[in-house]
Amino acid sequence: MRLRRMVAALFVVAASTAVFATPAHAAGPSKVSVVHGIPGQPVDVYVNGAKTLNNFQPSTVAGPLDLPAGKYDIVIVKPGDPVTSPIIKVDQAAVPADANITLVAHLTADGKPTLTPFVNDVSKVAAGKARLVVRHTAAAPAVDVRAGGQPVFKNLTNPNEAKGDIAAGTVSADVVLAGTTTVAIPAASLTLAEGTSTIVYAVGSATDKTLGVVAQKIEGLHSTPGGVPSGTGGLLDEPTPWGLYALAIAGVVALAGGAVAVRRRVRA
Amino acid sequence: MHRRSVLGAVVVLLTLAGCADDPAPSVGGATASALAASSAPAASGGVPVQAGTLPGAAATVAPARLAIGKLNLTARVDAVGIDSATGDFAVPPSIDKVGWYRFGPGLEATAGSIVIAGHVDSAEQGKGAFFRLRELGPGDTVAVTGSDGAVRNFTVVAREIFAKTAVPLERYFARDGAPRLTLITCGGPFDAKTRHYRDNVVITAQPVER
Repeated sequence: MRLRRMVAALFVVAASTAVFATPAHAAGPSKVSVVHGIPGQPVDVYVNGAKTLNNFQPSTVAGPLDLPAGKYDIVIVKPGDPVTSPIIKVDQAAVPADANITLVAHLTADGKPTLTPFVNDVSKVAAGKARLVVRHTAAAPAVDVRAGGQPVFKNLTNPNEAKGDIAAGTVSADVVLAGTTTVAIPAASLTLAEGTSTIVYAVGSATDKTLGVVAQKIEGLHSTPGGVPSGTGGLLDEPTPWGLYALAIAGVVALAGGAVAVRRRVRA
Repeated sequence: MHRRSVLGAVVVLLTLAGCADDPAPSVGGATASALAASSAPAASGGVPVQAGTLPGAAATVAPARLAIGKLNLTARVDAVGIDSATGDFAVPPSIDKVGWYRFGPGLEATAGSIVIAGHVDSAEQGKGAFFRLRELGPGDTVAVTGSDGAVRNFTVVAREIFAKTAVPLERYFARDGAPRLTLITCGGPFDAKTRHYRDNVVITAQPVER
């Protein structure tokens, strides 16, 4: 829910009254990916009038593209159709600077094609952990996501997300109608690699029996271990003090020798 | 004459004291940094499109045995991760084994740093597998046998010694840059109160072309 508000603030369509403030400092481009979550309908994607994705297939992920901060007109059509007969059309979509964004073409809860932007959390995960993000972008009611049979994300609704950083490894997850054990999307095995974010989109339509998942992976979010403690014996260091004492004695002897030499010279 | 002998004695003292603190000074650091910074050429062409299938387990070749001829060392390599209590590298407690960081690249990797760490010693068990690691220098050979049975040879290009508070771990736990093997242990002065060494000894080795 909070993310939805964040997204709304970052990614403003022309119809909205909100204004996106461009930061004054020099800003880098954003990484923009596109997820196709509408079953059975390949599309062409136009960005500012230029065909950017040709015959883009359902359940695939395109990008990331580097897009400078700015406003973009996005039109999604059936392959070969002119931009004048869109399936989805978003005018003046504002892409912020220095962000990682996924545009998801999907169905609304009541089954209409739409395009929803999500801001991806690309903060580092702790060493040994992986990030799991689940986004409800299906024409379906509220759901719970279960891992190992236990609900981990509850009452997720379209178009929102839930996320958490968990121990890296393989989990078995499924999706049930919220508060029930009625399976909406059957269990699947999911390998969450350490230092990555796996974003799972619930897509399709419950009515049309086309519910499924699309996954997007973001790598490079790993942290280093805190340190490499690999010695508690002190054996390596042990000779050092004796060596130093010996040297100190040698030094004193040498100095004394020098002093003797000086005295001898004075006498002479 | 007396001035010269006093000066000579001081120089000898300083030099030898320096050696005692740091018998194996760093060498090859610039090479190690360059390996970390090198990147694969960027793919050109259209927008990449991938199937949105759920991620499965990656095929990794774990290091199983480590052999270093110069040190007359062979050691078993265990796959290890993070010590959940401390957040540190979970170096195998048994000092005759060394640990491969299983979250980082394995031997199959075409980029990044394969990390193996081992004990220099332990209070309970004595000298560890990596007791003499700091004796390695550029040109020495390290052989790693993978879980697939194949032996890969590496040539040492750098030996670096860092205070643990200043060791650039992101460079050694990197998953990008040239493929390389990183061996880590402890070194430097020992604090008898905390029972910890001050420094980390880091050996960087490059794969030998096969």
